[in-house]
Amino acid sequence: MSVLAGRSAAVIVTVAGLAAVAAGAVGLTLTRAPDRPVWPAAAILPAPTGPIAAAPRPSAPQVALPVALTIPAIGVQTQLIRLGLTAAGALQVPPTPSIAGWYTGSPRPGAVGSAVIAGHIDSYAGPGVFFELSRLRPGDRVYVRRADGTLAVFRVTSVRTYPKDRFPTRTVYGPAPDAELRLITCGGTFDPAVRSYLSNVVVYTTEIT
Amino acid sequence: MRFLRYIAALSIPALAAVLVASAAAPAPASATTGTGWIRLAHLSPNTPAVDVYLYSFGDPSAQLVLHHVGYGVVSPYEQVAAGDYSVSMRLAGAAATTAPVLSASVAVAAGNAYTVAGLGPESALRLQVLHDQLSTPPGQVLVRLIQASLREHVVSVSLGGQVLASSLTFGSVSGYRTVSPGTASVRIADDGADASASVTLAAGTVHTLVVLDGSNGVTVDNLLDAAGSAVAPAGGAGTGLGGTAPRGPSSPLPWALVIMAGMVIAITGGLRLRHLPHPSVPRHQPHHRAPRHHRPSRTSATLPRTSHALASHAPTSHRLVGPKR
Repeated sequence: MSVLAGRSAAVIVTVAGLAAVAAGAVGLTLTRAPDRPVWPAAAILPAPTGPIAAAPRPSAPQVALPVALTIPAIGVQTQLIRLGLTAAGALQVPPTPSIAGWYTGSPRPGAVGSAVIAGHIDSYAGPGVFFELSRLRPGDRVYVRRADGTLAVFRVTSVRTYPKDRFPTRTVYGPAPDAELRLITCGGTFDPAVRSYLSNVVVYTTEIT
Repeated sequence: MRFLRYIAALSIPALAAVLVASAAAPAPASATTGTGWIRLAHLSPNTPAVDVYLYSFGDPSAQLVLHHVGYGVVSPYEQVAAGDYSVSMRLAGAAATTAPVLSASVAVAAGNAYTVAGLGPESALRLQVLHDQLSTPPGQVLVRLIQASLREHVVSVSLGGQVLASSLTFGSVSGYRTVSPGTASVRIADDGADASASVTLAAGTVHTLVVLDGSNGVTVDNLLDAAGSAVAPAGGAGTGLGGTAPRGPSSPLPWALVIMAGMVIAITGGLRLRHLPHPSVPRHQPHHRAPRHHRPSRTSATLPRTSHALASHAPTSHRLVGPKR
């Protein structure tokens, strides 16, 4: 092999090496910023129509079971399934991210007490039924259709985010003296190591009649 | 100084304990919105129906008016902003401008609930403010009694086998008792015939049992004051799988490996260049051969060392046939 061929090869090798260093540095710089997926905003839905449920009476508290949930401001319209507890005593979550569920251990929505409905913020691939729950603001309306066809109408009073390791169990699941509904989903930072969000978003609502 | 230090040593843990205790106290949801609850009750058997007015302190127009409230009626809770209120009772149909029969003031704290009840006989009617409990021991039921029966002045009340209150006099209110959830028979024992009724008490609820004069003996009204989950789920809810979460920066390791590999390759190439002979022969002397004693070798130390030298010489030498090695 000639010296010149050797030189050319050496130059090419050197330049290729330097190019690799440069490419690596550029790649390293470009991948430091977090990647924020963008999803289209949900359409605002019309309010459902139907007979508005009467206020619960303290001496006759039972109301019909909840069957569907509509939140016009964030485009939520879903059937409600029943949620219990996991073997570990945690709240069961819907098996499908596109549907919400009522926790059967809580009061029925529209009855005296703190009813609880939970839904996913997302699936592995995209938005879930409560993707935009944290965008609700005080005054927004939440409608629960019950098995007897009546609508219990709730007004958002506050939206809170809690770290899961300091979840205020007694505030969320404890007794309330009027008909309230709490909507729960995930929020905050997602920890890919444990495939879990580190916080819960809780929307507090009170029935209006 | 030593004494001050002693005081500080004592007070800092005490202060810390107070802070921890206040942080651990459960806050009802409404504490976050600065609201509480009031409900109004007429529990005086021989008092005719009344109109009940709720005024926010300093505001002459009523915030809430309940018309024609008769004996035994307990209103639902009204959610109100925390602050001072007054409750006035007028005979049913009396003008709002007339002097009330009775008035009481109530300070509503955020997250707290109150019952303002007309109690006692008409001749000694009073408005009593009851502070209502809004939390239960996990999985249990809280029950209290209001004795509003004039027919039986003194009653004892038991639930299942558990005595809730003994010798409760007319117009009085018992404290809360913790009972197990379930359906049980509430028994009212008095001087005359005993009465009993079946009540259902769900876990995680607070009840008030009101003993009332019925058309035929005494009755019990089972009021659901507040309800929560029968069993509070442990911890938060696993309601997300991360499909829409912002991706954090990916691992820098692959890029670091690329950079390191590039450096190794570049250094290898550089070393090879450095050890190759430097073709210094100009193009117009095609047959020139370097004198034997000048022929560079792999171990020669006479090669140009700077890249500048490489750059200026290498392009001119690409047509030359270098020395065979």
